[in-house]
Amino acid sequence: MSRPSLRVARVAGSGADWVEQVWRAVVTVLERAGGAQLRRGACALLVGLLAAHGAANAQPPHPSRAAVVGLAFDAGTRTIFKATAENLYRSGDEGRTWTAVTLPPAAARGRIAAVAVSAGNKPALYVAGPGMGVLRSDDDGRAWTSRSKGLPSDNNIVALAAHAAQPGTVYVDVAGHGIFRSMDGGARWKLMDRGPRERIVRFIHTNMPGSMQTGWLFAATAKGVSRAMDCFCGWHSAGALGHAARAVAYDPSRPQDIYAATDDALFLSTNGGERWARINAPAPAVSALVVTPSGELYAGTGDGVLFRSADRGRTWKRTGA
Amino acid sequence: MVLVGAASLAHAGARDGPASAPEHFRVARAIFEKNCASCHGARGEGAPHWEHRDAKGELPPPPLDAGGHAWKHADGMLYRLVEAGWRDPFNKTERLTMPAFGGKLSPQQIRAIIGYLKTLWTPAQRRFQLGESRREPFPPDARPSGRQGKSGGMQPRN
Repeated sequence: MSRPSLRVARVAGSGADWVEQVWRAVVTVLERAGGAQLRRGACALLVGLLAAHGAANAQPPHPSRAAVVGLAFDAGTRTIFKATAENLYRSGDEGRTWTAVTLPPAAARGRIAAVAVSAGNKPALYVAGPGMGVLRSDDDGRAWTSRSKGLPSDNNIVALAAHAAQPGTVYVDVAGHGIFRSMDGGARWKLMDRGPRERIVRFIHTNMPGSMQTGWLFAATAKGVSRAMDCFCGWHSAGALGHAARAVAYDPSRPQDIYAATDDALFLSTNGGERWARINAPAPAVSALVVTPSGELYAGTGDGVLFRSADRGRTWKRTGA
Repeated sequence: MVLVGAASLAHAGARDGPASAPEHFRVARAIFEKNCASCHGARGEGAPHWEHRDAKGELPPPPLDAGGHAWKHADGMLYRLVEAGWRDPFNKTERLTMPAFGGKLSPQQIRAIIGYLKTLWTPAQRRFQLGESRREPFPPDARPSGRQGKSGGMQPRN
């Protein structure tokens, strides 16, 4: 099985339905046949099926080779979260080992587009994506609640970002609608803006100074990086990156330092996106970025690999997955 | 005359009473025309091409009417911008993008201008802005004692 971790966890939901269907069929046959031997055989079959189902769930997670679509870091527990379109993983040892995070069965209806950790002492973990809406966990991924009420019913969420400083504030970009903001952890949403002209691939919130309100939004788009104050006073192109951007991140300890990944290169701006300088990339196709408060830069790639740099992208080390 | 008008606003302000509203509106519009219209337009329509930096590398004054984004901002934020000004950090000059009017206008006059702006917005925009203002209302200096309403608004003219 190539991706047993969360995929199996997701199957657990539909698997229960499947076992139930088998059991109903068995009961129907027994009712028609009526033999004690048949009953014993059917029970043994069912026990076997359940055991096989449990064994599948118990398999350890494997490093996924699917593209990394999102990275997030919980500074309190020093946990890094890595999302692919179908699975979410956590690592508490800088990426050396990974554990699958089980999402609710409803998540199987869609795919993951983003993962984020909120600010604050008790941060919330969010995942979001087309078809699944917004999911929030307040216990490090053990239990999840849907936070999609108030968002367009098509649930076509393409990006999510947590506010850099306000624990309850989170933003989502919904295709065809625009950017919604919640200030109460996803309980209520307000449409704020239609977003930049170009489609957003990823976006982030930074507490870079100079905003009329509390910070800035940076979006990786098909034309580079776009920037807006979080008062939603208009989107502007951030510098002349000149390429489609696949990922964007900022350094919490230097909020004016913005990283952007294009199809084949990695860039750093030290002045809020005005000018970009190419830096050393760990791989040609970086698809997700995150920077920890101590300045460690993580880059996830299109083939599921995660790299770590402790010197702002000068040198890189491949992590365990 | 403007000061006298503002003093009356300090009493009546956003009371929104039908009899007093026209006078509030007239006074507030006069303050707007004297202090804001030269940059933001006589009807708050903003400068041409306001979404793009000009030749000096500055952002032109945006619309303050329904076509802009002022309606997205809470009373407290709008007050702060008018009172203290603001400089776009990406300005290519050192000038303030929005000049500070705190030394020129009283708190009541600033509040009157913001009340006038609300008459330029759609009902849906006013509802949105009211929600934002619950989180960030006018500062205490601009909150008149007694009879004023909560919104800082006045009867809309659109």
